[in-house]
Amino acid sequence: MHEMAIASALVEQLARIARENNATRITAAEVHCGILRQVVPEALELAFAAASAESPAAGAVLKIVEQPIVARCRSCQRIFEAAVDNFLCPACQTADVELLAGQDIILQTVTLETSDERTS
Amino acid sequence: MKIKVVESVLKANDAVARENRRRFDAAGVLAVNLMSAPGSGKTALLERTLAGLGPDVRSAVVVGDLQTTRDAERLQNAAQQVVQINTGTGCHLTATQVAEALESLDLQGLHYLFIENVGNLVCPAGFDLGEHVRVALLSTPEGDDKVAKYPTLFLCADTILLTKMDLAAALDYRRARVYEDISRINPRAPVMELSCRTGEGVDRWLTWLNEERRRRIQ
Repeated sequence: MHEMAIASALVEQLARIARENNATRITAAEVHCGILRQVVPEALELAFAAASAESPAAGAVLKIVEQPIVARCRSCQRIFEAAVDNFLCPACQTADVELLAGQDIILQTVTLETSDERTS
Repeated sequence: MKIKVVESVLKANDAVARENRRRFDAAGVLAVNLMSAPGSGKTALLERTLAGLGPDVRSAVVVGDLQTTRDAERLQNAAQQVVQINTGTGCHLTATQVAEALESLDLQGLHYLFIENVGNLVCPAGFDLGEHVRVALLSTPEGDDKVAKYPTLFLCADTILLTKMDLAAALDYRRARVYEDISRINPRAPVMELSCRTGEGVDRWLTWLNEERRRRIQ
């Protein structure tokens, strides 16, 4: 259940972003999860709801987008989408690859509410 | 108002991990992160390793478990320094927990710091602790199908140790299947067959450790 650790880190990150932007509330966040991180979206949503309860992100809508694994073959330089249990290059059948995407968890966008917005 | 951020969610963990690594580098200690399922022989490997490295090599161990100090007690007499971290419900160690453990360790003069991660085949792979090398263990009783089932831990490993090999025959363990799965996921990692009970493969593992230390620590 590493989703709880990820959710806690996300809540802290969102609280910092809220402070930096003088926001009163975070209403939505979009997170891109590389497939290699093995994040279960439902588990992350649940953990996020629990972890954010007392924070500016309480009640925020969390959009989770799974990111495919993209690899570059070190032998023939071909760039291809790999499966989680198969990194064989479709061209030369070696699995000696450099990972280009699929292993990060990135906070892409945040929708926030400022006090100015509320009064206007 | 919608703003674009594009920032790693684990940025804070990664920053602490970088600081841990800087401290290991400054002290000249090779940090080794041992990852596997519970019961695959991480503590037994450490007992063999610490004995095999001999009295002139100084090592410390950080042990992560949900509960109890049993592993720390087992290793107490084998390593110069041992710190137990109890993660409660946490299924992996984080860089911050390791940084806190470092507060009660003296890194100066150490050759190796072994970090025995919480037994889990999924979660530890996602968290950089600041280690120099990652070691994945897979024991024969877990089955010969686990590399393909839990690929990320094996994908990020610098070496893969197949442990409890003395039981392979009794378990109809298909080595070829394991090697084939690894070849599709992480062909760069050397694979070593070990038995801590018979001592099989332990010398090769110690040689690998020694070479990694020479290569990575200036």
